[in-house]
Amino acid sequence: MSGAAWAIKAEGLSKKFGLTLRQSMRYGLRDATRRLVGKATESHELREGEFWAVKDASFELREGEALGIMGVNGCGKTTLLRMLNGVYSPDVGRAQLRGRVGAMIAAGAGFAPMLSGRENVYVNGTLLGLTTREIDDLMDEIIAFSELGQFIDLPVKNYSSGMYVRLGFAIAALSRPDVLLMDEVLAVGDLNFQKKCFDHILQLKREGTAIILVSHAPGAIWAVCDRGLFMHQGRIEVDGSTEDIIRAYEDQNARSAVRSDQQFNRAVDEHNSTEGKTLPNEYGHSRGGTGDALALSVRVLSAKTGQPVSEIEFDEPFVLEYHYRVDNELIRPIFRASIDAVHYRFIVSIDSHEQGFDWESVSPGEYILRQTITSQSLRPGAYRINTSIVPRGGGLHIFYWLGAASFVIKHPTDRFLYSNDKAIVFLPCEFDLKRC
Amino acid sequence: MDRSKTIRTYEPVGHALGFVGSLRLAGTELYLSRHVIWHLFVRDFVAQFRQKILGYFWIVLGPLLGIIPFVFMHRTGILNPGAMEIPYPVFVFIGMGIWGLLISTFSTVSGGLLGNADLVMRTNIPKIALAITGLAGIFYSLIVHVVVLLIVLTIYRLPPSPWALLYPLVVLPMILLGVGLGLMLAVVGAVARDVTGMATTALGILMYISPVIYKAEFSHPLLQVLVTWNPMTYLVDAPRSLFIFGVIPDSLGFALASLFSVFMLAAGVHAFYLIKERVAERL
Repeated sequence: MSGAAWAIKAEGLSKKFGLTLRQSMRYGLRDATRRLVGKATESHELREGEFWAVKDASFELREGEALGIMGVNGCGKTTLLRMLNGVYSPDVGRAQLRGRVGAMIAAGAGFAPMLSGRENVYVNGTLLGLTTREIDDLMDEIIAFSELGQFIDLPVKNYSSGMYVRLGFAIAALSRPDVLLMDEVLAVGDLNFQKKCFDHILQLKREGTAIILVSHAPGAIWAVCDRGLFMHQGRIEVDGSTEDIIRAYEDQNARSAVRSDQQFNRAVDEHNSTEGKTLPNEYGHSRGGTGDALALSVRVLSAKTGQPVSEIEFDEPFVLEYHYRVDNELIRPIFRASIDAVHYRFIVSIDSHEQGFDWESVSPGEYILRQTITSQSLRPGAYRINTSIVPRGGGLHIFYWLGAASFVIKHPTDRFLYSNDKAIVFLPCEFDLKRC
Repeated sequence: MDRSKTIRTYEPVGHALGFVGSLRLAGTELYLSRHVIWHLFVRDFVAQFRQKILGYFWIVLGPLLGIIPFVFMHRTGILNPGAMEIPYPVFVFIGMGIWGLLISTFSTVSGGLLGNADLVMRTNIPKIALAITGLAGIFYSLIVHVVVLLIVLTIYRLPPSPWALLYPLVVLPMILLGVGLGLMLAVVGAVARDVTGMATTALGILMYISPVIYKAEFSHPLLQVLVTWNPMTYLVDAPRSLFIFGVIPDSLGFALASLFSVFMLAAGVHAFYLIKERVAERL
């Protein structure tokens, strides 16, 4: 592939936006006036209230190569794609694309509900850069690929959403562009159609089409792309293998989940404190209990350094540290913790009695309790800790705290855990395949 | 054509394009987008008339209904349009038709980008093509206007002049003016949405110092100066006189007004190309 000609070159591409509509309008009018009187606009620098949606993005893609772009929402990947498609003009830098550009973001663009599928093929096809004659030649292929059959002459307003996207995808895919820009479009139609889409995209790639795929789906990126970019806050943070960018994306996703969880908890705490409430003596809150004891703080520490951490390496031991205040003597208390994953609650339970640690009583005072998790096999992702104190003789909670702390398990560098982003435990396993 | 050698380059426009540069670029982009413009026109036209009871008949009926209020006001004596050589309904029909071309051209072009915002954001079709896709409909309206005008003249037993064949050419400056103003507002209006509304209101006021529904002959000297210096005076009067009498009453005025229209078109294209890059991010 190294001998192939370049298909896309991006050099220092940058794009800025105003944070508010009013600022956008003010700067827009100012820029428009400056341009009308022949003055240069201040495109290189940020003005008050502006931010870089994409900053200094540089890469090169050759014919027959596929580049995946990943990043959490708002990282700039769609803005970058729009600059490559000529929708946004860069404020700084330059993009060059060789050949006809087919933008899958334009799949289904310009469809008029009152027109038949066939009539819309002409509209959408020309929007993708095809001539009327080229569309005539492709029509049978498009009908066959989209599996619409006789429904091609039905007004598209009567199409199901699946038929609609299948037709849009078929036109864009069969236009055989030299450069194909795709934004989250591979998950269309049923499984058979999705497989056909993947096969066709890979076929285009073999025929020399350069592909850029923006997606949140690691599976799609891994299946189609040779390498990728991971974007964060407008910048390309990782330019490497698909595995590297998927790792970076999932770690960032986990960080974002933790941050949003913390912000939510903080907002709830502030809301509760404004109402002047003390520890609620009932269930249904994030914190509550009898008032005999409470946790003042919960921290996650590195088992190696003993320092507080927010991220833990895959497979790495860690410590949960609780700062308790006991106001009334606790008789035969059980210290319990549970862990929530993003999609599931209480995936792990750590109970002092189960682990063989019992106390007859704990007198009033302040205590530090440390739970050292000596081995763990949590898969990469965001996790949340809940903690409670229960008496051995009764089924109530002396104290409970949901979402007391959060941490991220990072993606390992020596293996690629991609198969299921909802799975939470990694079980090391040996495989043995023998012919019988 | 070996399209694999075509290289698109996107970079900040560091230098201002001149008038000629803008026009040349517009010509190239429009030529390259001819298929899109055609199919978008067909799409909008067909979609507009499908599932309507009166269908194509409405195209003919619409312009006739537009002059009813003025004919009514004239008949009841509320409106005194001045001494006429032709029946008032014919006068006002032609006047409203020509003025309607300006207004519909202006509103079609100025709203072209906002109306096609989805295509601006999702495709790399040149923005000028999206701004003017509605123009095909304007030319169609012009044909309908002429056909209905011939019907009206037949009713009044008023034969058109042979010079009426030049009518489409003589109303062209009005359309060019509408395109020029529309292109300016297409980009400015995308940044500040209320500017288009203000401009539409201003054009509405301008109609009253143009010979559209009356002859615009005022005794007040200032008003008369405004009428004399108003290019619309000549752009409305010339096609009407040519169609009926075969003459252009003030040919110098018409020539200057036509030059003004061409200048406004060039200015519109130039303004469009200077600002268009700021449009997509403000839609």
